[in-house]
Amino acid sequence: MKIFLLICWRNLWRHRRRSLIVISSVAIGIFAMMLSMGILNGVYYQAIDNNINIALGHVSIQARGFRDSMTLRNSFVPDDVLIRALAVQEGGTRGYAPRLKMQGMLNSSESSKGVIIVGVDPAREKSVSNIRSYVSGQDSGTFLPDAESNQICISRDVAEKLDVVPGDSIVVMVQDKKDEMVGVGMTVSGLFQTPIDSINQFTAFVGIKRLQEMTGAGDSISEINIALKDRNRVDETKAAIVRAVHDTSLAVLTWKEMAPYLVNSIMVVDAMMYVSFGIIFITIIFSIANTLIMAIMERFHEIGVMKAIGTKPSWIFSMILFESVNLGMIGLVAGIVFSWIVIGILSKVGINFSFHFEAVRAFGSGAVIYPIMRWTDVMAGAVIVMLTTVMAALYPARKGARIEPLEAITFI
Amino acid sequence: MGIITVSDVVKNYENNGLTVSAVQGVTLQIKQGEFSAIAGPSGSGKTTLLNMIGGLDRPSSGTITVAGMELSGMSPKDLADMRLRKIGFVFQAYNLIPVLTARENVEYILLLQGIDREEREKRSIAILNEVGLGNEIDRLPKEMSGGQQQRVAVARAIVSEPSIVLADEPTANLDQKTGEALIDLMHRLNREKKITFLFSTHDKMVMERAERLILLTDGKISQDKVEKPKGGKKTKTSVNAGFKPRVNRKR
Repeated sequence: MKIFLLICWRNLWRHRRRSLIVISSVAIGIFAMMLSMGILNGVYYQAIDNNINIALGHVSIQARGFRDSMTLRNSFVPDDVLIRALAVQEGGTRGYAPRLKMQGMLNSSESSKGVIIVGVDPAREKSVSNIRSYVSGQDSGTFLPDAESNQICISRDVAEKLDVVPGDSIVVMVQDKKDEMVGVGMTVSGLFQTPIDSINQFTAFVGIKRLQEMTGAGDSISEINIALKDRNRVDETKAAIVRAVHDTSLAVLTWKEMAPYLVNSIMVVDAMMYVSFGIIFITIIFSIANTLIMAIMERFHEIGVMKAIGTKPSWIFSMILFESVNLGMIGLVAGIVFSWIVIGILSKVGINFSFHFEAVRAFGSGAVIYPIMRWTDVMAGAVIVMLTTVMAALYPARKGARIEPLEAITFI
Repeated sequence: MGIITVSDVVKNYENNGLTVSAVQGVTLQIKQGEFSAIAGPSGSGKTTLLNMIGGLDRPSSGTITVAGMELSGMSPKDLADMRLRKIGFVFQAYNLIPVLTARENVEYILLLQGIDREEREKRSIAILNEVGLGNEIDRLPKEMSGGQQQRVAVARAIVSEPSIVLADEPTANLDQKTGEALIDLMHRLNREKKITFLFSTHDKMVMERAERLILLTDGKISQDKVEKPKGGKKTKTSVNAGFKPRVNRKR
């Protein structure tokens, strides 16, 4: 078998330049694939991280029906059992925080704006959310000082709409436990600006105890958000929490279940990318097939001699197939190595997409994207190249296998 | 019964609607261990006959039996297998695999026969030593002279110890001295290994060395002459059979 592989390998280098062109086309195709997937991965991962870190958490325990109707009716009191259940998960949990969420209206002397009012405990919130870090920049004020203060933290977009700055007062209107509207004047503590457009447009933070007090909710909360040390453990953590909580009135949801739009859009974009890679590699199929057909016509006489001295057609077929796969594999390795170097550098320095910021912000990622090369993409690339090279070689290999030895050895 | 039996073989070709007879009713028997040559002018049908004996071409009518196997009923796959196991080929243009070294070219046949690596290496090196190329085993064909390449081709043809070696104009591309040395080598192998050698040639020297000379003219045997013993030695035996042998040697 060694000789057989040697023939394949050495045949590749008989026309060095021609082989290098094919190898380069595969390598460039792979690089294009890895870079575009890397950028998309960067966008996804940042979007997922941002959504998890700012809004969703990895896992949320909430009253059943809360996601359909964000009212106090769908709230619950976290009892000791629940707290103990969370403590069980402490090993894999980075932190957890209670939140009380409801729809409300913000009114200033200039305007009004409908938002989701999120009551948080700033001390606990630090362990699950980095919203505090987005209150930055000149004249931004500060995040909420504590859970009781009569202050509200709103986004720059909302502040602009209401025409207020930190220190100004606005009226916060929400529905209380008796389904009656209550309005409370609050001071704007600070302004945040996250990479997620929907958060900026429709979210405001207040102290959870102040919100409970305003609405007469007592100790009720809407959800407990849990941040994990390892994002890949959400499913097992969810299962463990479900077992520990053992309360059918509560729902335990992962970030994927809370943000299906994000998962679906990632899947759609992934599928579109793979279709475009398919198109790229179909063109490569013709390039490789063309090269192999040329190589076979040049070696017509030689293949005839090989058959004359007893080489079976299936061996000739396999030999040409091997040559094609060899070409593809060299291109694959070259492409992967080049991608690894380039993406490795870009993953440190990032690519600034600020010229396209609105689009990436709608997705929830930042303006600077840090590409990520995943092993799954490398494997996908390997499979695509393998399929491409085998498909490209089928016709030339069949042609080679069917060469008539007599015709070929008399061919000059 | 001979190792090769050709019975009333006819080979016709269609050429622009005309039927051309390359071989016309040839009957011939070659015995085990013969050192024979089929000679004749260009177009006399000697290569066509050799190709049919080697299973590379099929007769229009008649039968050919090689080592007890009747070729006409065999599939292309079986013919390939028969060529691999029973016949060694030596071609005019050497026809070595250009990307393989001398040893690898010889080993290739053994690889096709499914012989294990250790045995392959041992036999290919031994046979290359035998043909005087012990120091050239790692050279590629392009790094060797024509004579050396043809000796590798001979080594490749005999390494699997076939019953028959068919050599189509083996000296045509060689100079006089190299050609003679090659025939000496093949005759020695014929004597020592009892391999049957059948040449097609129009080289006078090869005709003189053959122990049996079969002359073809216009696709028919015009003379079949057995003159023993010769082979390695030059003799003054006449090969005059109504044509002047063409000496086609390149230096």
